[in-house]
Amino acid sequence: MGLTDFAIESRDLVKNYGNIRALTGLSFRVRRGEIYGLIGPNGAGKTTTLRIISTLIKPTSGSARVFGFNVEKEAPKVRKLISYLPEEAGAYRNLSGREYLEFMAAFYAGDEEARSMVEEAVEISGLEDRVRDRVKSYSKGMNRRLLVARALMIKPKLAILDEPTSGLDVVHAYYVRRIIREYVEKHGVTVLLSSHNMLEVDFLCGRVALINEGKIAGEGSPSELKSKYNVPNLEEAFMEATRRA
Amino acid sequence: MRSSLGNLVVKEIKELLRDPKILLGMVLMPLLIFPIMGFAINISQTAVEESVKAASIALLDLDGKPAAQNLTRFLENNQYNIKIVKVDTSSAEEALESLKETNITVLLVIPADFSDDLANGSKGKLNVYVIFRRVSMAETGRSEMADFLLSKYEESLVKETVEKEFSNPETVLNPIDVSYSTVIKGETFNVDPRALSIVVISQSIMFPMAIMMLLIFGMQIAATSIAIEKEEKTLETLLTLPVGRLSILTGKLGGSVVVAAAGAVATIVGVNFYSGSIFGGEIPAVDLQALGLAPSMGGYLLLGVIIFITIVSALALAVCIAVFTENVRSAQSLIGYLYIPIMVPSMILMFADIDILPTAVQIVLYAIPYTHSIIATKAAFIGDYTTMAISIAYISIFTVAVLYVAARIFTSEKVVTGRISSRRWKLKR
Repeated sequence: MGLTDFAIESRDLVKNYGNIRALTGLSFRVRRGEIYGLIGPNGAGKTTTLRIISTLIKPTSGSARVFGFNVEKEAPKVRKLISYLPEEAGAYRNLSGREYLEFMAAFYAGDEEARSMVEEAVEISGLEDRVRDRVKSYSKGMNRRLLVARALMIKPKLAILDEPTSGLDVVHAYYVRRIIREYVEKHGVTVLLSSHNMLEVDFLCGRVALINEGKIAGEGSPSELKSKYNVPNLEEAFMEATRRA
Repeated sequence: MRSSLGNLVVKEIKELLRDPKILLGMVLMPLLIFPIMGFAINISQTAVEESVKAASIALLDLDGKPAAQNLTRFLENNQYNIKIVKVDTSSAEEALESLKETNITVLLVIPADFSDDLANGSKGKLNVYVIFRRVSMAETGRSEMADFLLSKYEESLVKETVEKEFSNPETVLNPIDVSYSTVIKGETFNVDPRALSIVVISQSIMFPMAIMMLLIFGMQIAATSIAIEKEEKTLETLLTLPVGRLSILTGKLGGSVVVAAAGAVATIVGVNFYSGSIFGGEIPAVDLQALGLAPSMGGYLLLGVIIFITIVSALALAVCIAVFTENVRSAQSLIGYLYIPIMVPSMILMFADIDILPTAVQIVLYAIPYTHSIIATKAAFIGDYTTMAISIAYISIFTVAVLYVAARIFTSEKVVTGRISSRRWKLKR
């Protein structure tokens, strides 16, 4: 497989924050069109990994490429291909949902195409008439749906979603997972996501990396991991993988 | 299609102006609060004046001879509608006692030997008692009222005496006639310098204050704009968009400049109403342009340049600091420290020229970049372009340095990870 056959290729990523080592040589590869999940406890290094891939921060050592572009040296090219949804991100409170989507779409397309993106995002978000209201009047679930719609409307080659359903109730979480899955199937978008929720990962991801203390403790499809560790679910697979590591 | 920068600036303006805290606190409040303050002061001034006009003076004549009668007649027939109430007691103490139940707060006592003293060529002595029942301007106004009437009486006595002795009493009383002119840049104008100084003072206070307000508003807005992005966690998304980091920084600064300018205009309009209410009619109409004391077109242009550069540097400085805070509250409290180098020169230079200050103070003030925008504003009014050019050069160097630091921060990961907390850098994973 050539280098650009992978949506993401990270090699020996190390990230230090002062004296704290967040990543200790993280390597993984994400194929085009797959949903790849990073799972692990708080502080395992999931968010740091997503921030490096999305060009927000630089690795202390090692490298990462997105569709062949180096995230450090070719960050502007990478930013044209990705859409990043940070954990617990908000939208601009004093803009309406539609204005927020229009603001975001304008960075990716001309007037006509941007309008079409916004209409699609309105549909994805399911906000209907509420999209005309100010974001500050939205519930947490509505806010997250708006942001997921924003992340997907541009049809990125790579969507990076940090805890996409964090803090949502069952109904909103179900809705968000469904739209991610449908959108990926429809447009062939590659997704890199992180989650604490093993059910979510099991439902969404083709392959999963179990991250602990800044490195990968196990990798494979959810069924492969369950089979490998001879456990009924991913939660136990994670515990077993970290115990063996 | 709107450019990315235009898109960012429009978003900034919308987001800021729709924030009730900014719209109310920085744009609408100055428009309301200053006129209300002026109106309130005006009401109290009018009330004091009315109260003084409605006041009475109690008069106790212990003399009863011709000069005392003459004074009594003068007071009773005064042209200022001040009511004279005669008191019939045998001493000042008794008179004061009798005034306890009244609103009268001034007692004028003509002692028994007043007429005799005047007749003998000695000074006539009068006693004025002012009863302070409250601490207010109205009370002091009433005491001045007695003083005013007595000085008028004294003038009439002097005039009467001079008229008896001299054929030209007016010349004896006012022997000198002074004519005032003002010389500006070697040219003489028939303008009273006292009238001119009032106008110049009002201008020299107005401009430093306007610049100070503009900078403070701008910094608050820029800091709030960044801090909201951090607080609402929208900055991370913004930084991963296909738009240059410097465009994001410029968009923030541009939006903040527009909103700060709206705030400054609102403040100036409000202050104008305020001073109009207080000093209404006291500032004489002097055409500064005709006297060469208003900036030329070139002067205005340079003034615009210097104010723009100063604002950009102040906003960039605010952004540099706010980017390391986690929320709006901490950003605004940190920005508060930056007000000191803005307010101190403004306050000093409102009332004094830098040249007359002690050398040490001059050095400190010259070192503060924001001093130069005020110095340049004053220089613009007298056409001193050399001073303006030096000020522009100094602020430009400072602004370039601040922008460089801001750009470095925005293009580094510190914009995401840096935190100022408890005087330490904290790095968040």
